[in-house]
Amino acid sequence: MISVTNLRKEYRVHRRAPGMAAALRSVFVRSYDTVRAVDGIDFTIGEGERVGFLGPNGAGKTTTLKLLSGLLHPSSGDVRVLGFEPRERDDAFLQQIMLVLGQKQQLIWDLPPADTFELNRAIYDVPAAQYKQTLDELVTLLDLSVVMAKPTRQLSLGERMKCELAAALIHRPRVLFLDEPTIGLDVDMQVTLRTFINEYNQRWNATLLLTSHYMDDVEAMCPRVIVVDHGKLIYDGTLEALAEKARPEKRLVLRLSKPVDAADLAKLGVIVRHEAAVAVLRVERDRVKESVGAALGNLPVVDLTVENPPLEEVMRDVFRKTEPT
Amino acid sequence: MKSLRSYRKYRRLLAVQVRASVLLALQYRLDAAFDAAVELFYAATALVPLLVVFGTRGTVAGWSYPESLLVVGWFTLLQTVLDGIIVPGLTAVVEHVRKGTLDFVLLKPADAEFLVSTARFQPTRFTNVITAGLIFAYAFHQLGRGPSPGGMVIALVLLAFATVVLHSLLIMAIAASFYVVRIDNLAYLFTSVFDAARWPRSVFRGLAHVLFTFVLPFAMMTSYPAEALLGQLPPGRLLFALLGAGAFALAARIVWNRALGRYTSASS
Repeated sequence: MISVTNLRKEYRVHRRAPGMAAALRSVFVRSYDTVRAVDGIDFTIGEGERVGFLGPNGAGKTTTLKLLSGLLHPSSGDVRVLGFEPRERDDAFLQQIMLVLGQKQQLIWDLPPADTFELNRAIYDVPAAQYKQTLDELVTLLDLSVVMAKPTRQLSLGERMKCELAAALIHRPRVLFLDEPTIGLDVDMQVTLRTFINEYNQRWNATLLLTSHYMDDVEAMCPRVIVVDHGKLIYDGTLEALAEKARPEKRLVLRLSKPVDAADLAKLGVIVRHEAAVAVLRVERDRVKESVGAALGNLPVVDLTVENPPLEEVMRDVFRKTEPT
Repeated sequence: MKSLRSYRKYRRLLAVQVRASVLLALQYRLDAAFDAAVELFYAATALVPLLVVFGTRGTVAGWSYPESLLVVGWFTLLQTVLDGIIVPGLTAVVEHVRKGTLDFVLLKPADAEFLVSTARFQPTRFTNVITAGLIFAYAFHQLGRGPSPGGMVIALVLLAFATVVLHSLLIMAIAASFYVVRIDNLAYLFTSVFDAARWPRSVFRGLAHVLFTFVLPFAMMTSYPAEALLGQLPPGRLLFALLGAGAFALAARIVWNRALGRYTSASS
């Protein structure tokens, strides 16, 4: 479905020192740096897979999505999506993909979203019956009926994002590229969008490649993650395995009926949080059984859960390890 | 079969784009009314230089006052084409490139040049078609005769060629926005230079004649149709106009495709 081999994208960037003298000099003599936004990455994604594409700002995530959707031309390497070379922008290819950019919008600002949907229907040449069926489904699932007739400029950010998603799905694409689709949305709206995207994936067996800085998005939607940093691929596998690799420990969350001494907690693991009724400990994976037994036997525990460390912390560790020295 | 399907798709797409532009114009009724009034005023002022010049002489470069009025009539008509059809969609490209929202155009399975060219129309600018009609009527009344049917057909064909050339020139100007960040002034410069098209072509001599015949062929756009209406256009000129329009369209296509290759899509 998607195959990427030794993909590179380089930009030539004008550099100059700060100050008036350097600015004047740069008018006559320009110096350039070559920035490697994507630096030789390889991966394949099968039909129906949901993959999170993670990395810090400037890691090359959005650039890769744009290379995969044909917006940018690779400097070198090979990209195939649905058997097409994206840079060719073949109509048959574009007919089967979509790209949602959380910080850009395609909706016509002064007209209601229904007019953008109609425009996309004409562009994608969607048969009338299919269009009606798809639109009815989108309106129901995303709860769009009240916003369909309002000018886009009067919609809230969440309503706009739902409409952006609907506009991008009018033609029932098989490959979904989502770049920060939940950015700036409240928690309820984030959950709505995640649920909807998962349902779309299951119903149409669509392939999904998502970038997001919200780890909840990734946990809810992507069993597999690809991690990039400084344009290079540093991990490709399951979320679970990534957490184990980066943070080989678990979290013990204890709810207590009365306060306990820190010294007693420290015997079980590293204290992350210590309050009167709650304590959170970091425990090596191979010591979890022993620590659970000791906590239940020696402390006034009313509830105990064993959790993976938060994904944000895992990712912070991953990126810290790849910092250039 | 495929080309027929493609034709139907683009015809429907054009209809949807026109509909969206009309809806936009209707959304802001006061703006539309004001816009239409300004257009009428602007068209009226286009006559002022002509009145000034012909106030002191009977002919200019071999053209009488009513004959020159025909050129102004075509200029008014083409101004409508430029401001109502060509400029609104294409000038938006500059903003799309700057903000990176051209992404959404390039992601669509339709010709990008067609999509941007038909993205926006200004229906209010079409009030000037009436103004042009009144100018033609007055000019022929002064001449004491009407246009020949054949001349009218040729003039309409030339209008189509002129539209192609104007569109091509603006596409080439807009393509610069892929190379430099801000080129808003280029579009204004183009519409300002277009003012020269209100004068009969024989007014221009030397370098200006070459410029307005071959580089910015305004002579073909306004003087040729006026000559056709008067029954004075040599047949070879029609062929020249056809070849010129074809050459400009081809050049614009090449420049546009090269410019798209330079698109870097502003980061989000």
